[in-house]
Amino acid sequence: MKFADILASTIHDIKNALGMVINTLDEITADPSYGLTGNPKVVTLQLEARRANYDLIQLLTLYKLDSGRVTLHLAGHNLDDFLDDMLVDHRSLAQARGITLDYACDPSLEAYFDEDLVRGVLSNAIGNAERHTRDRIRLTAVAEEGYVAIRVEDNGPGFPPSMLEPTDEHEPEEGFGRGRTRLGMYFSSQVAALHRNEGRIGHICLTNASTLGGGCFSIRLP
Amino acid sequence: MRTPIEKKSYLIVDDFGDMRAMLRSMLALFGVTHIDTAPNGKDAIQQLERNRYDVILCDYNLGPGKDGQQVLEEARHRGLISLSTVFVMITAENTREMVLGAMEYEPDSYLSKPFTKDLLRNRLEKLLIKKEDLEPVDRALERRDHAEAIRELDQRIAARPKNLAELTRLKADLCLQAGMLDPAQALYEGVLAIRDLPWARLGVGKVLYARRQYRQAQEVFQNLLNANEDMTAAYDWLARTHEALGHLQDAQEVLAKAVALSPKAILRQKALGELAMQNKDFATAERAFAHAVSQGRHSVYKHPALYARLVESQVANPEHRDKGTALQLIKQMEREFPRDGEAQLYAAMAEAVAQQGLGNQTGAQECLTRANQLYERVGVHGKPELTLSLARTVAHLGDTERAEALFKKAVLNNHDDAAFLRQVESAYRETGLADNPASMIETMRQEIVDLNNRGVQLASAGQIEASLGLFEAAAERMSSNRVINLNAARVLLLQMERKGADGESLSKVRRYVERIRQIDPNDPGLARVLDKLQRIVGRT
Repeated sequence: MKFADILASTIHDIKNALGMVINTLDEITADPSYGLTGNPKVVTLQLEARRANYDLIQLLTLYKLDSGRVTLHLAGHNLDDFLDDMLVDHRSLAQARGITLDYACDPSLEAYFDEDLVRGVLSNAIGNAERHTRDRIRLTAVAEEGYVAIRVEDNGPGFPPSMLEPTDEHEPEEGFGRGRTRLGMYFSSQVAALHRNEGRIGHICLTNASTLGGGCFSIRLP
Repeated sequence: MRTPIEKKSYLIVDDFGDMRAMLRSMLALFGVTHIDTAPNGKDAIQQLERNRYDVILCDYNLGPGKDGQQVLEEARHRGLISLSTVFVMITAENTREMVLGAMEYEPDSYLSKPFTKDLLRNRLEKLLIKKEDLEPVDRALERRDHAEAIRELDQRIAARPKNLAELTRLKADLCLQAGMLDPAQALYEGVLAIRDLPWARLGVGKVLYARRQYRQAQEVFQNLLNANEDMTAAYDWLARTHEALGHLQDAQEVLAKAVALSPKAILRQKALGELAMQNKDFATAERAFAHAVSQGRHSVYKHPALYARLVESQVANPEHRDKGTALQLIKQMEREFPRDGEAQLYAAMAEAVAQQGLGNQTGAQECLTRANQLYERVGVHGKPELTLSLARTVAHLGDTERAEALFKKAVLNNHDDAAFLRQVESAYRETGLADNPASMIETMRQEIVDLNNRGVQLASAGQIEASLGLFEAAAERMSSNRVINLNAARVLLLQMERKGADGESLSKVRRYVERIRQIDPNDPGLARVLDKLQRIVGRT
């Protein structure tokens, strides 16, 4: 067994433990008899535990990508349903922090992608936006130039200039930007690039052209 | 529109107590009161045998024993859950690849851990709404009324719903199953015009295969695999196509690759074993059947025939020196399938081959005598595969004439079952009794088709007596032929409608009905015959 394999199985173990922590937190905040519902310290615990969990899942996926063990599970998805799922998954925590989370999308819009992987990408982007927005986050999906672009926009101060460089190179950079370790961006660009169709390759892009006035993360899927 | 998810009944299957408790508390928060849990696959199946659930939440990983996919397979295969039951497979990132390798049965939804209670709620609501919407389609499918199912689907597709892509795929697959090849092809090609999707490509290949355009089908499947090297279903279809073209060596190689990708698929291991037997590659055959037997221990596909084939491949395999293991396997078989007549028959046939392999001619003949007695009891009107196995066994022991008669019987009784006829062909080839089994089988099949058509034409021209004579004689010769018995019953009913029913013709109809019921109690034609019979009896 290689060190990388031991690392991976350990991460897997930590991830499961963290999963139980998250579920227990969700349970005790959902039950009013604990008197913890809406407690800001508990919300922080929930958010940070979830963020750590996403990081671990991303690490595991990247490990498998690296060892060639990831199969893309492409299927047609209705974007309205997909964004609705994303919203439902993040809404209660966002609300607890005073953030309004919504989405806008043509109800008939469809795209082909790996649901689990793209969910991971968007969860990461939403997590990022939650830490930098003032009080709003919006998810949108549109068809453009042979791609479907899914965006996460916020009304915070936007991305720092160092992060607005083209991110299509696959190496993570040194240093800690807005995404702290940049794991999320690295993961997102890898997942995007796995999606290919008729010579077009999926990619991500960061701008400060949000319709809400803050940062805008897009993943464009062919 | 809000489906009351709290009114539904749920079964939670997970080997971790913490996880079961968590799912239960999530459901309880939604107001659900009817929740059962099972800690493993075996328990889950027992609960499904006793109760009906609207929703099953099942973890893929269930520790030792059955996994989630095997629970799903067994539940659907045995009809323990209906098409309207929602089956959600819960996966973790480390089980993702295993889950996607499974093709036989797919759950309604995958849910990957971790997920929040809000996501679970949202997912359940959507799935239940979708199931409700598709209920008329499911009901038609349970009656095997494909035409009605497609009509219902068309109505929904015309409204251009959100899940249009999914409905289109469902319709295309249904058309293919119902043999409506032109519409199926048009649907698959319509999808491909927008996007090159593997499932639609595979569909085009299956249409070509059904049209017996094997060369083109081969090209489609080969191209699919070039672009998607882990698409196990494409391997299965490519192997089938090679087999139809008579390229048995290629077929075996293709299946060997698929088996390496997903070793847990028992039916694929079995198919590989069968091919290897025909190719006289007994070492590969033995390996494949041994896998099928050991993987099958917790599976619905566990079957005495797999044990029997393992015995035969061991006996045939020159590398397998310890011939005593075959007899041990037969003992194991008797333990694993107690009081099962079919299993006893398979055991007797396998032992005949094993004793022959040990040089014990007398023992082999004794086993064959026992096998013949058991065959009279469970085989004559039993599954057609039993007739094939017996044919192979007697051929092995040198009784060529009897083997040929049994092969002929297998074809006569099942001329409309293309998949089974391919099995006859393989078995025939394996015995080495015929140079070209495919064309022999095709000649026989065509004779029955002609005979049946002649009978139907006579009946529709009003020559009931002539038609009846023809079908009655045919039904004597082919007592387990579904189509012939069905038509014999139909023409008899026609005659009764004209001339009235007498005791003799009534008992004849009932005999045919009983035969059809034995072949397939859910035959859609049978239901119509019974209906008509009811009306005639009611009138007299």
